[in-house]
Amino acid sequence: MSKSGSLYIERESLFHGLDGSIKLLMLIAWTGFAFAFMDARVFLGMILVGLGILKLSKLPAKAIWPLFAFIFVFTLFNSIFLLLITPEYGSKLAGSYTGIVTLGFYSITLETIFYCITLSLKYIAIMPITILFIFTTHPSNFASSLNRIGVPYRVAYAVNIALRYIPDVKTEVDNIINAQEARGVAFRKGDAGLATRLKNYATVMVPLLLSSFNRIEVVSNAMDLRGFGKSKRRTWYHRKNYTGMDLAFAALSFAVLAAGVAIKIMVGSVYWYPFSL
Amino acid sequence: MKSVVFEDVSFQYGNLDQPTLHHIDLVINEGEKVLITGKSGSGKSTLAHCINGLIPFTYKGEMNGRVLVNEKEPKGLSLFAMGTQVGSILQDQDCQFVGLSAGEDVAFALENDCVSAEEMHAAADRALKQVDMLQHKNQPPQSLSGGQKQKVAIAGILAMNVPILLFDEPLANLDPASGKKAMETILDIHGKTGKTIIVIEHRIEDVLEHGFDRVVVVDDGRIVFNGTPDLLLAEDILPRYGLRQPLYVEMLKLCGIKAKEEDRISILENTIKYKDQVLKRYMEDRFADQRPDNRTILKLQGVSFRYFKEDPYTIEDVSFDVKEGEMLAIVGNNGAGKSTLLKAISGIAKYQKGSIYYGDKNSENKNDDNSSSILGMNCINSWTAKQRALAIGFVMQNPNHMITKDMIYDEVAFGLRNFGVGKEETDARVKEALKICGLYEYRNWPVSSLSYGQKKRVTIASILSMGPKVIILDEPTAGQDYTSYREFMSYLDRIKDTGVGIILITHDMHLALEYADTGVVLSSGRVIAKDYIDRILADSWIIGKANLKHTSIERMGRLFGVEDLSAFIAYFTRRVTSTTDQSPDLTKLVKQSLSGEGEEVPHE
Repeated sequence: MSKSGSLYIERESLFHGLDGSIKLLMLIAWTGFAFAFMDARVFLGMILVGLGILKLSKLPAKAIWPLFAFIFVFTLFNSIFLLLITPEYGSKLAGSYTGIVTLGFYSITLETIFYCITLSLKYIAIMPITILFIFTTHPSNFASSLNRIGVPYRVAYAVNIALRYIPDVKTEVDNIINAQEARGVAFRKGDAGLATRLKNYATVMVPLLLSSFNRIEVVSNAMDLRGFGKSKRRTWYHRKNYTGMDLAFAALSFAVLAAGVAIKIMVGSVYWYPFSL
Repeated sequence: MKSVVFEDVSFQYGNLDQPTLHHIDLVINEGEKVLITGKSGSGKSTLAHCINGLIPFTYKGEMNGRVLVNEKEPKGLSLFAMGTQVGSILQDQDCQFVGLSAGEDVAFALENDCVSAEEMHAAADRALKQVDMLQHKNQPPQSLSGGQKQKVAIAGILAMNVPILLFDEPLANLDPASGKKAMETILDIHGKTGKTIIVIEHRIEDVLEHGFDRVVVVDDGRIVFNGTPDLLLAEDILPRYGLRQPLYVEMLKLCGIKAKEEDRISILENTIKYKDQVLKRYMEDRFADQRPDNRTILKLQGVSFRYFKEDPYTIEDVSFDVKEGEMLAIVGNNGAGKSTLLKAISGIAKYQKGSIYYGDKNSENKNDDNSSSILGMNCINSWTAKQRALAIGFVMQNPNHMITKDMIYDEVAFGLRNFGVGKEETDARVKEALKICGLYEYRNWPVSSLSYGQKKRVTIASILSMGPKVIILDEPTAGQDYTSYREFMSYLDRIKDTGVGIILITHDMHLALEYADTGVVLSSGRVIAKDYIDRILADSWIIGKANLKHTSIERMGRLFGVEDLSAFIAYFTRRVTSTTDQSPDLTKLVKQSLSGEGEEVPHE
């Protein structure tokens, strides 16, 4: 995380040059497309294309891998829970029953395992574009992007304010915790039990909330005095006119989304299971 | 044209049962530079709210009389329309910085005005250039200093192109050198644009040295003075209302000099005609210089700390001693490493090099390893922050960050209870701490009923009750006006007399000068001087190197050609402090200000 608390990584690339709203549109289209399918082949293809896009974005692998690692762990746990709770769900979808592990009533089928893999691939397939949006969009561009795709600017600007003050609040929390710790309040593992520590964190909330309320009052006065909310629309310092490339990617996104929707309507959500008899 | 007119204005906030402003009559003309001053709670901020439109649009209440801003009544307009007339700079640089970069923040008002992006960028660049911040255009607020944020805020107002600029306590959160630059920026803008400048501030000396046309003093919701700075200083107005006079003026008064308005003493250079009188007094009445030589209780030796291995040290090779009953000031500009040093001493930051020794009389045999103790003190490098807390207390700048209990007694007992101290001993220690801090009578009051300065005293009591031999205070007087500042410092003096060593971390040169015995000057993480505070402040090289601000006593000493500047500074600050600190009791001060009696500086 950079000093400003945002995840943005400055690079010179095709995707850094795109407007934030286009990247948001791409994210929506890509996700929509992924949800139209339940087909491991499609997801594998999407992952390959996605990785290619990330390669083009020149983002450092060091920044990307933690997120991939996170999603791997997430899907792993997700799969374990699926196997525990609905061990035969995949068989219902595939219409065949190939038991692998059987313990009394409980049995895991090959179909379910394949279903878990497909689902995991689906989540992983969404990752590249999400990463692209998060890391290549300047934080100042988030709010204007949201506004540009139709979110009212007052709501969109709340995102900006959150990004602006999260680092400040974090510093404040650190300060408060340090001060309380010096008065013998336990926050660390080993100093006290979990329940006590949680209670202590709750105590810290009192001064934090009070100062946050005060901050909100001052921030909103400062914004009012400089005319926030004056008219029905506002312009944005960081907004540029769409370039040809922006429009091309917008068109591509719409095409992909339309294709996804069309397939969904015409074919339905097809679950691809290669091993059925 | 008249920029601001108040015609018999009274105002009462909807949630209060007393009016805050009483029958205010005031005219501010176009292009004037006016300072509005007064104690905390005098109503000066309310006056500002009436000018920028927060009253009546955000803060509701009952107003009688008439306010005119650029010949229009705010209540007939909207808050947005007021925004095109008055540009406000608020006290809190962080909260008014709403953009994610300097450029974006400057353009904020333009965005709201639907100005096109190209035009907006050009206007923002122009405004940033005016305050000399263009090179920081793309920086996020977290990497800008307080002074730089202030300049960005000023640029933001300049981009709006409003005729009246209103500054609500612009110096409150700035170190003196940045404060000086901020004032210079404000005046530079005045010189270039001729806009009306209204500054609300209680750091009077820092404003007046920049040449203001007029000063308005507000006390208890009424205007009690409205005239030139020369008249203000000549007539002893400030001490009468619990406000601080410039140091050099206090000194003139001390020497029995009665100046008149036409002597124009608001300009320091004009005091040259009193040279003989001042020097005569100084030569005749030097007082014995007592420097206490007590036992050392805290010793830092070559302490260095860096946040990341690959970074340079934030503080490097810091060494100094703190003695029993000593008040030591650590001075230095923002970014000099003051707060990092504080973290190192309190154990929050684990320093990579150096050692800290602590010696309580009763703890000499605590450490078995003799090699780690010197002069009867124990090395505390391995102590955790929690262990150190009982030896070295730390009082944060903002009391609201420390207070978590509802009742004063519980707040002061909190630390002791956490450390498992017995009930009876807790009770005794809490009561003792409350007595020293003058809060004993309030022990069963809720904390929320106290003023900011009183809360600050509660936080000191809560640290004191834990029995540390060293107390560190981070900017102890920030956010307090002169009356509560002095009162607070006199309690600290009392604590000092019990043998506790006190470390003040501050950028307030006046505070260091008047109350500290010794000083340590930090610059870029290194100690560049440690000496008696008057000698430090007499040394131009140190002041320049550490980017501190010259005090007016020192400037006057130079003007008069005094050879031993340090003795000159020491003499007058001791005299000034000792004559003004005779009535530290708040109730007394309140009574005085109510009965209208001024605190006369005695002419012995």
